[in-house]
Amino acid sequence: MPKYTVKFKIPKHLQVPMGAVIPSPKTENEGMITGNWRIVRPVIDHEKCTTCLNCYIFCPDACWQLNEKTEKMEWNAKYCKGCRICINECPADALTAEEELNFPDGVVRLDVPF
Amino acid sequence: MAKEYFYSGCAAAAYGAKAARVEVITSYPIRPYTGIMMELSKLVANGDLDAEFVHGEGEHAQMSVTLGASASGARAYTGTSGVGVAYGMEVYSPTAGGRYPCQCAIADRALDPPGDFGSEHTDVMSARDQGYIMGWAESPQEVFDNTIMFYRIGEDQDVMLPQFCCQDGYFVSHIPGKVPVPEQSQVDEYLPPYNHPHPLDPHRPTLHGPQIFPDQGAAIDIQRAGAHANLPKVIEKCVKEYNEVMGRNYAPMLDEYMTDDAEFVFFLQGGHAKTARYAVNHLRKKGVKAGMVRPRFTRPFPSDEIAERCGKFKAIGTIETSTSYGGAMRGGNLIHEVRASLYDLDKRPAVTSMMAGLGGEVVTLDMFFQYAEVLAKAAKTGQVDQWVYWAGFDIAGWEGARRLQF
Amino acid sequence: MAKIFEVTIWATGVLQDMEGRHASLLIANAADKAGKFVQAWDNYADLPDRVNVPLRKYARISDEEIEMRYEYENEHPEMVIIMQDAIIKGMNVLWGMPKGGVLVINTKRSVDDILKFIPNKDLLSKIVTVDANSIAKVADIDFMGGEGGVEVVGIGAGPSAPLVGAACKVTDAFSLENVVAVAANKDGVKKGYEQAVVTNL
Repeated sequence: MPKYTVKFKIPKHLQVPMGAVIPSPKTENEGMITGNWRIVRPVIDHEKCTTCLNCYIFCPDACWQLNEKTEKMEWNAKYCKGCRICINECPADALTAEEELNFPDGVVRLDVPF
Repeated sequence: MAKEYFYSGCAAAAYGAKAARVEVITSYPIRPYTGIMMELSKLVANGDLDAEFVHGEGEHAQMSVTLGASASGARAYTGTSGVGVAYGMEVYSPTAGGRYPCQCAIADRALDPPGDFGSEHTDVMSARDQGYIMGWAESPQEVFDNTIMFYRIGEDQDVMLPQFCCQDGYFVSHIPGKVPVPEQSQVDEYLPPYNHPHPLDPHRPTLHGPQIFPDQGAAIDIQRAGAHANLPKVIEKCVKEYNEVMGRNYAPMLDEYMTDDAEFVFFLQGGHAKTARYAVNHLRKKGVKAGMVRPRFTRPFPSDEIAERCGKFKAIGTIETSTSYGGAMRGGNLIHEVRASLYDLDKRPAVTSMMAGLGGEVVTLDMFFQYAEVLAKAAKTGQVDQWVYWAGFDIAGWEGARRLQF
Repeated sequence: MAKIFEVTIWATGVLQDMEGRHASLLIANAADKAGKFVQAWDNYADLPDRVNVPLRKYARISDEEIEMRYEYENEHPEMVIIMQDAIIKGMNVLWGMPKGGVLVINTKRSVDDILKFIPNKDLLSKIVTVDANSIAKVADIDFMGGEGGVEVVGIGAGPSAPLVGAACKVTDAFSLENVVAVAANKDGVKKGYEQAVVTNL
């Protein structure tokens, strides 16, 4: 009689949590990096910026944060996907879109796209 | 003269529907079948196809509109995938029970274990008992041919049943293959216009789908069962005629590959049969007597043909691309049906199953080779150690055969 | 199994979904014309309906039947075509490339500018730059023919035509005349071939 009870050997890279329940990320989810989608990036002119926080509210990926010490907006290159929403929403015209390849910094290079 | 195109399965289905001169199309988007409706909407918008294009607000509405259109005497076409199949579930039984021969194209997709979109047959397999005709295509060409063939079979007056025209999501629906498209005149010769004997018509009022009493239920159901009993004969006739008109070479029920002297066979439906053929070729080169059997229809299940032609093998290994958790064999669906079909034989092959291609993973050549070892052993001893093998998880040395795709 | 020539095409989600697919179809159709066994397809797992997401489209060319039909990633692409230059900053575009591969890129920038962003450039034997966008003169936004659909006529009306034309300059797998024969924008293919800048590394 064939048996059913089988001990599965699950390779390490395929071991997933039960029911695919993912614990809440505290600050960021490294599996969902979107900074590599960017073709243009928003560049901030701090002179014009009034820290009205519109960009903070509208950014779908929470890439704009107010640094309370310097009272300046800070941009997160790792997750900003260059969607231009903040640029459109900025009432003070402090944000401009510039081509990503003009900047040597902000490199988020992945092997496999998310 | 047939012209050859480079179509994906989705495009093949769309152009098949165009060749079948569908009159009402209902859509609701879900990957991966969306391509079918995108192509069809383009054809309708460009005036290449004279059809009513209805965008449903969900799969349930989609199936209902298709039912209504078919009841009014139009050749109706719809389609869906994965969870969409599940959402339309309520309408399947009325469509089959009301005997409306509409067609539902399926590019299958895994049901969600949170949000999967790969190919897996579980979605339609869970709707297999509603009375629909159901069969999987192996290549875009077969998708095109099945679309036309299924209409002809379903609209036969002895049958009058709706059809699931299935293809593997992505593997068949997205990877283009060559499709020789016949002339419209050839299709028209093969597929006469659809005639419902009592269509919904304001000038000739009829009542469809009335409420019946419980004691009439069995009488209605036996009609559906009778239609299914007629199916094998009708399928044989229609497939034969299709081969003659279009110059194709389809087996009506069981597609066999290298089975004449085979000791064991892979038994599977759908697109992965293509890889199975390559695997058989390689195994033959090594002197292993392997073969492949592919049912072209899952409903009606080709039990007679299996009993007749598969009893000679020493072992049969089903490749399950769908799940039946807690089922009699604890794995997939095909093994149940294959084992049951063989039960009345005096000498029965050993039958086991391999779970593979779940959630959209690729069934690789390696998996077939590893499984061939299991089957060769079963063919020698006449016994199987396990009902179910999970490709990549439970045979020694299988770790690493599978890798993360993305 | 015969050797398979693998091409990976990188494009951006939604905006270049169709053009990327056209590039792979152009290559496959051109090689098919020469009697080769071909395959052209999209990477299903990349979810192309997200704007700007890096997408992979693939083509395979072989002298024998391609048995790995459903193994949907090109693991060793000898040629990589990039439809949007910014992708080189976000992706390891040469992933899996054997030494001596070729990179074809649609850019206005100079080769040095591009190479700055490719840390594993020693894998490359040649790099081809071409400004396909200005040759094609059409925006790369076209939503016709989504995922799973296949254009019957008009493959390569946009920037995919000059890019594949430029790629002809560095490979024998598919020839310029066959690409011209299957492309909608025949002039674009020729211009791409002429204006392509090949740099040996």
